[in-house]
Amino acid sequence: MFGLSFLSPLYLLGALTIAVPIALHLFRRRTETVVDFPAVRLLVQSPVEQRRRRRLRELVLLALRVSALVLLAGAFARPYLAGSTLAADTPVTVVAVDTSFSLSNAQAFARARQRAEEAVQNAPRAHAVALVAFDESASTIVEPTTDRGAVVAAVGGLQAGASGTRYAAALAKAAELIGARPGRVVFITDLQQGGWDAAAHAGLADDIELEVVPVDGPLQNLAVVSTERREGRVVASLHNFGLEPRAVPVSLSVDGRVIERTSIDIPPQSAAHVAFDAPVPASGAASVAVEDVGGYAADDVRHLVLDPTAAARIAVVVADPSTLRGGLYVERALGAADEGREFAVTVVDGRALSAWDASEMAKHQALVVLGTRTLERRGRQLISGYLAGGGSMLLALGPDVDPGTLQDVLGMSPGAGPDAQPLEGGAATLVVGDARHPVFRPFTEPTAALGDVSFQRFRPIDENGRAVLARYAGGAAALLEQPRSEGRLLFFTSDLDNQWNRFPLTPAFVPFMVETARYLTAGSRARVSWVLPATPPGLQPTPGVFTIDTPAAGVEGQGRRVAVNVDTKESNPAPISREAFLEQVPRVPRSVAADPEGDARKAEDEQRLWQLGLLAMFLALAGEGLVGRRAN
Amino acid sequence: MAGQARYLDPAIVARLGTIDLKARTIVEGFLTGLHRSPFKGFSVEFAEYRQYLPGDDLATLDWKIYARSDRHVVKKFEEETNLECHILLDVSRSMGYGSHGITKLQYASYLAGALAYLMNRQRDAVGLLTFDERIRDLLPCSARPGHLKAVLLALERVTLGTKTDVARPLGDLVQAISKRGLVVLISDLLDEPDRVIDGLKHFRYRGTDVIVFQVLDPDELEFPFDRAARFRDLETDDEVVAVPGAVREAYKARINALIANYRTVLGQNGIDYCLLETSQPLEVGLLSYLQTRKKAF
Repeated sequence: MFGLSFLSPLYLLGALTIAVPIALHLFRRRTETVVDFPAVRLLVQSPVEQRRRRRLRELVLLALRVSALVLLAGAFARPYLAGSTLAADTPVTVVAVDTSFSLSNAQAFARARQRAEEAVQNAPRAHAVALVAFDESASTIVEPTTDRGAVVAAVGGLQAGASGTRYAAALAKAAELIGARPGRVVFITDLQQGGWDAAAHAGLADDIELEVVPVDGPLQNLAVVSTERREGRVVASLHNFGLEPRAVPVSLSVDGRVIERTSIDIPPQSAAHVAFDAPVPASGAASVAVEDVGGYAADDVRHLVLDPTAAARIAVVVADPSTLRGGLYVERALGAADEGREFAVTVVDGRALSAWDASEMAKHQALVVLGTRTLERRGRQLISGYLAGGGSMLLALGPDVDPGTLQDVLGMSPGAGPDAQPLEGGAATLVVGDARHPVFRPFTEPTAALGDVSFQRFRPIDENGRAVLARYAGGAAALLEQPRSEGRLLFFTSDLDNQWNRFPLTPAFVPFMVETARYLTAGSRARVSWVLPATPPGLQPTPGVFTIDTPAAGVEGQGRRVAVNVDTKESNPAPISREAFLEQVPRVPRSVAADPEGDARKAEDEQRLWQLGLLAMFLALAGEGLVGRRAN
Repeated sequence: MAGQARYLDPAIVARLGTIDLKARTIVEGFLTGLHRSPFKGFSVEFAEYRQYLPGDDLATLDWKIYARSDRHVVKKFEEETNLECHILLDVSRSMGYGSHGITKLQYASYLAGALAYLMNRQRDAVGLLTFDERIRDLLPCSARPGHLKAVLLALERVTLGTKTDVARPLGDLVQAISKRGLVVLISDLLDEPDRVIDGLKHFRYRGTDVIVFQVLDPDELEFPFDRAARFRDLETDDEVVAVPGAVREAYKARINALIANYRTVLGQNGIDYCLLETSQPLEVGLLSYLQTRKKAF
């Protein structure tokens, strides 16, 4: 059972100081002033303090003083409940309960609770039991304990949430709780296929027993997987994850009022689009709902914010805007994003930019510099100051860039060669170096999209201190990022104006530029759509439309609406078999040695009983002060 | 002589010198100076016998009576009975309290010295008796030259005694005083009021005039303490833990009741009573009293 232990028990010797107040109490009880007075007999019958009451007060004072000293010594000794950290060899059974929204059906989750309670009760008698709830993340509900009643009670308090499933998180948490002990893990889950994250590598030690207790969920499900506004109307995409065709009613609501109902036939394992005829207002909160009896409830509604979003302002700096190559391709590519609503592009030549002032420059969330030949000194200083103030920029080192002026523009040495060089073999394709970088998000599948682009010339650049995001096939750096404390700075070592390559004419150019612009302007734009478990700061992870008080940087206004939706990755009820699940779990050799001292330190750090001790000590001192003051 | 000078502050003496102390009642004996008396002239004739008291001049002891009756008596002569003024000074431990740089005993001693000096100027016989629960020292009344010096010297040497018991020395003294005269009691009177008053009544029954000075410290009147303390009785060592704020009013009511009781009952018995605070200038209380006496006669 629980027992109090101490990390630094020697400090408990400090409790011996209680001998001081006790000795004072016993041997020097007359702590009050003694006044020799002639007329004491006239005081005898006055309403002076009763002796018994005074003795009681003195005992209370003594108890408070002794308590304060003991608590102080105890706090320094760093106490913790040893019972909460079991002995290093106590086996542990971790019961991990799936609380994703695929189990949000009341009956299904009741079954999950029942399985979990059975798992707790049926755990081997020698085992301590821990309870973990998991969806996208895993949290410890009950630390390993021998008090199974407490674990069963905690199971009763579990609720399904609105997030997806991620088995890897639960595995990692279970492995953490078991540590170096012998153990077993019992998974209570509906065995959704989508819960396996290919990028996750969490595994269990090979000697940990793993048991999977399946909970039957619905075999079919309909989900609203996306909603968007097109030309004043709402278009929604629905997906039938079941094996049967479905004909279901769908409704569109704006600000809580249904404005259109329709129905849709969706073949099995297929998606369908619904274009609502009713025009929607320029602002407000819309939602599309499908009546999916028997499926998951959480994905039957998808929310959309209709409020106009401020386009991110981007200045494209060119050498001469009058030519056909004067930033036309970049401007058109960025103009394609969200039908021109996402970015407001201004093409400006070096001379015109030099006439701007800092405030005009600061209105832009990012710069794309394609040419610097016409930049005057003032313009170079403006860009340098913009970058120093946290601005973001993409610098394409094409033929219109004067390497001799880049030192002034960047406020540092660019490390770029003065002359363009042909790529090896006369042409080279682009190879993504870091596929996880947001710029390459659209190219993850298929990644070959960028590989189709052929580049002929480039300008070499120093890679030291810079992250190379993409290279040419020959190995030369193509896209680099300069680490900065504020703002973002990207270098593209070739041309983006259809001079040294045909990149602007390829299908990959538009998503590349859009994603690059999004990356540069990220953090300065108002995000209106969130997918759980991500939420705006301060919001609970619940689907819906909410108004948050913090507008994005550069956006005026007191608050703005955001839509929070579930991740439809969870909407697919397709399960995997128990055997397949077990095979998916990576097994690793046990490498964690028993570390009782580390466990104790960790327990003490988590419990922080010393803080309670200090608080109690201060309360005791305050009480002592109050009682002592009443005596005067 | 330093002690003498201490009691006979010239300023006090100068002011006292303008007032004649007149006995309230007519006593037996000769009247010299301003006293009204049925006995005229000055003589050394034998007047009476009285019981011997320790301190009496052995020369006045009548050995013949001792031989006949085995009793010690002294002879009193009429010249000494102009006015016999007995100053009774309480030297109990409670008189040792003082909060304003002067104890009650010091204050009372100054008062006794001033009175003795005044009596001596009136050529009255002055005696001094110090007591606590018993008689500690006694100087018989005498108007002879140099007696004042002896009284003042006795006052100089006075030390604190033990507990107060005013009634007992009063009872002893009343037996020793045969002629009517004046008894001046200087005490804090922190004793049983009934016993004190009973003791003083006996003097009145014998025709002796009595003046009572109650000397109290301002602390005893106001109880100005502000922190809880253990109050220890100077005489009995009894202790009481008290919160001054809680008991002050009750205490003041009791001390005021005690004073009022003395003032009333003593007045009813023809005994003059005067309350003196040690914070007051010595002469203020004394002159106030003497003025009162002056108006009465």
